[in-house]
Amino acid sequence: MTPVATRLAGLLALVAAGCSGRPPEPPPTPPNVVATIREQQLPNIELVTHEGRRVRFYDDLVKGRVVAINFMFATCRNACPESTQHLVEVQHALGDRMGRDVTFLSISLDAERDTPEVLRGYAEAHGAGPGWYFLTGKHDDIELLRHKLGAYELDPVIDADRTQHTGLVILGNEPAGRWKAITALGKPVRIRQAIERTILPVTEWPTGAAVVNEVPYEENERGKEVVTADEVAKLLVRDP
Amino acid sequence: MFTRRDILKAGLAGSAYGLLGPAFRRSAFGDSLPPSPATKPFVVELPIAPLAKSVAPFATRADPGNCVNVDGTTAFHVSGPRTVPTNTEFFLIHERAAPHSFHPSLPPNVIWGYDGMAPGPTFLARSGTPSLVRFVNDLPTNDPVGIGEPISAIHRHGGFQFPEDDGYPLDTFCAGQSRDYFYPNEADDLQEQNEHSTLWYHDHAIDITGMNVYRGLAGFFLNFDRVDSIAGELDTGAAALRLPGRMVTLPSGDQFRQFDVPLVFQDKRFDQNGFLAFDTFDHNGFLGDKFLVNGVVQPFLKVARRKYRFRCLNGSNARNYEFFLSNGQPFVAIATDSHLLEHPVTVKSFRIAPAERVEVIIDFTNTTLGQEIFLVNRLEQTDGRKPDGLVSPGTQILKFVVDRDADDPSRVPDTLRAVTEGPQQLLPKVTVQRTFDFERSDGAWVINGEFFDENRINAKPKRDGAEIWILKSGGGWVHPVHIHLTEFFILSRNGSPPPPLERGRKDTIVIGSDRGDVKILLPLPANFHAVPRPVAGRFVFHCHNIEHEDMRMMAQFEVQP
Repeated sequence: MTPVATRLAGLLALVAAGCSGRPPEPPPTPPNVVATIREQQLPNIELVTHEGRRVRFYDDLVKGRVVAINFMFATCRNACPESTQHLVEVQHALGDRMGRDVTFLSISLDAERDTPEVLRGYAEAHGAGPGWYFLTGKHDDIELLRHKLGAYELDPVIDADRTQHTGLVILGNEPAGRWKAITALGKPVRIRQAIERTILPVTEWPTGAAVVNEVPYEENERGKEVVTADEVAKLLVRDP
Repeated sequence: MFTRRDILKAGLAGSAYGLLGPAFRRSAFGDSLPPSPATKPFVVELPIAPLAKSVAPFATRADPGNCVNVDGTTAFHVSGPRTVPTNTEFFLIHERAAPHSFHPSLPPNVIWGYDGMAPGPTFLARSGTPSLVRFVNDLPTNDPVGIGEPISAIHRHGGFQFPEDDGYPLDTFCAGQSRDYFYPNEADDLQEQNEHSTLWYHDHAIDITGMNVYRGLAGFFLNFDRVDSIAGELDTGAAALRLPGRMVTLPSGDQFRQFDVPLVFQDKRFDQNGFLAFDTFDHNGFLGDKFLVNGVVQPFLKVARRKYRFRCLNGSNARNYEFFLSNGQPFVAIATDSHLLEHPVTVKSFRIAPAERVEVIIDFTNTTLGQEIFLVNRLEQTDGRKPDGLVSPGTQILKFVVDRDADDPSRVPDTLRAVTEGPQQLLPKVTVQRTFDFERSDGAWVINGEFFDENRINAKPKRDGAEIWILKSGGGWVHPVHIHLTEFFILSRNGSPPPPLERGRKDTIVIGSDRGDVKILLPLPANFHAVPRPVAGRFVFHCHNIEHEDMRMMAQFEVQP
């Protein structure tokens, strides 16, 4: 279209809109973060608990709750034992807040072998109590969920290795629309503190001295070596 | 039947991935975030943040007036009320939510900014005149947008300041509360070579730095001294460099710095209705598809036919840029991170990683009136891992429109800031070498195999000394490593002399992927002077891909008295 034609067409469109009597479009409203996350990140997939109950991920496990989610499988020998052990310690530290203030969801990446019975055995062996669900389901559903929750690798070869996805705890306060993650492989105290920073309003977050000093002071100067003056002198790399 | 894993094992990763359908590729959905709405570039004039204005001195409070733990304890570093030198300038800055227009075709958004601005007010400090800044947290506690948490710790990036004023991630203060930060504004150990130039201040609170910075909590803090002076090009002093830049008084009575322009580059994403979007499930490093300068999408700047100083800051969470000028003209780089270079360096392009600063002179003298020149980013990056490489033609980020003539008394001298205590002088002090390996591990990132722990010290360097640090990264990730307290010299990159723009002192350095490893020389200053005190205490160092930082790719060193 020539510029004149374009302008004309624009004018006509304006006139047409005016004639139709349509009210002007209301200004867009900001998104609701809770709804956005629910729609985009929290697929309502079907899962089975270690107690054999059929549940929906969003409706039954996440909606209205604070959750700590990790991926695992019963035969995993890499990070899983440590992750699970850390969560067991966090469970004890949280005491009666487990199930009331926070729910743990451990989701199996081995749908074939991790039947509800196997997971029940795993839960019992680790002393998982109320408020902690071990879950299995369809492989593809769980893969979708894993990616949605951010427990994935950008390199597809590494991503295909499921042992790579067992070191994260994804923390969500669903009604507040707040989600983050922390490593499961740090100290359990740090996981508990991060969970508290998910449950509690910001004004009550544990921070500062109480957080730092809850575990004893530690030094680990890994990577330190003493160098001699001769070695140091060689470090000055000059242009050839 | 082949399982997915078998196919991958067979080395058919790329194609197999496609065969298995989009459900497995995050990019198919979330990339949960669909592309931002279209915006017409170069319709908004480049905003320049106002200068922070000093206020009457006030009585300082104890640190912190702060988030209180259930056991009654507060921040980790507690001091005050303080006695500050009589020449200290006082500032009062409120962190608050405010409407902001990123672009005329996007609806007004609510950002979080220092004094409600993104970027926040620019501080102009004179070496020898300390600043006391009270930051008041007026952020909303029930924010519906869901990007950020109303808890703060403020780090003056590149600054030489006490541990309690460094924005240690656990030294937080909550909504309704404030914290007083004292900035000595002095060169480390009062050596002129260590005078600072372009610093920036931003949020540094534990777990949520990425979101808070993305929401808008960042601003410039510029330092001047007798050489690189506030009078700038109009300075008649013998020592003055007379780099481009001068102070002018606007009709409003406010001061404005002309011909010396801070530029913060950030990438953001907007939802289909034009509201700011963020992916809290992406820990690899958040990337936007809109390019902002000083808080607006692809602005333009009218320039005169003369030299300008541009202080470029990469304020993005994870994106790296490589800038070119569309007319093929070179940049004259004069500073990297906090410090002027010893000599100007002429470059066709420069790369800038998150948190790095590069100051360049662009000379528009030989352009024609009406000419349009674009600042172009040609470095493509599609995920948080690393840039993919240079593309052509790239993305035009900022348009310069040459619209007038102006006098130009500025100079770019051949020697900017002599290095009097460089590697040659510092190396004999070195007795310790440390190696830090920045790696991907089990869905997150570690330094020497460890995640940040708040009470673990990873290095105990001595004050008034120097150490060699070797920074390494494997697995194809780049990490912009930032070390607090002091700035370092780069001895070598992959065993070779550092490239020209890495020969000055820096506080942030990219490692990994094709950039490889670096060997740096880290001086540890001896004393603070504005308020006399030996340098000591805890400071952090971390990856400045902020998502990695929030996932605990951080460690700390404790300077020994």
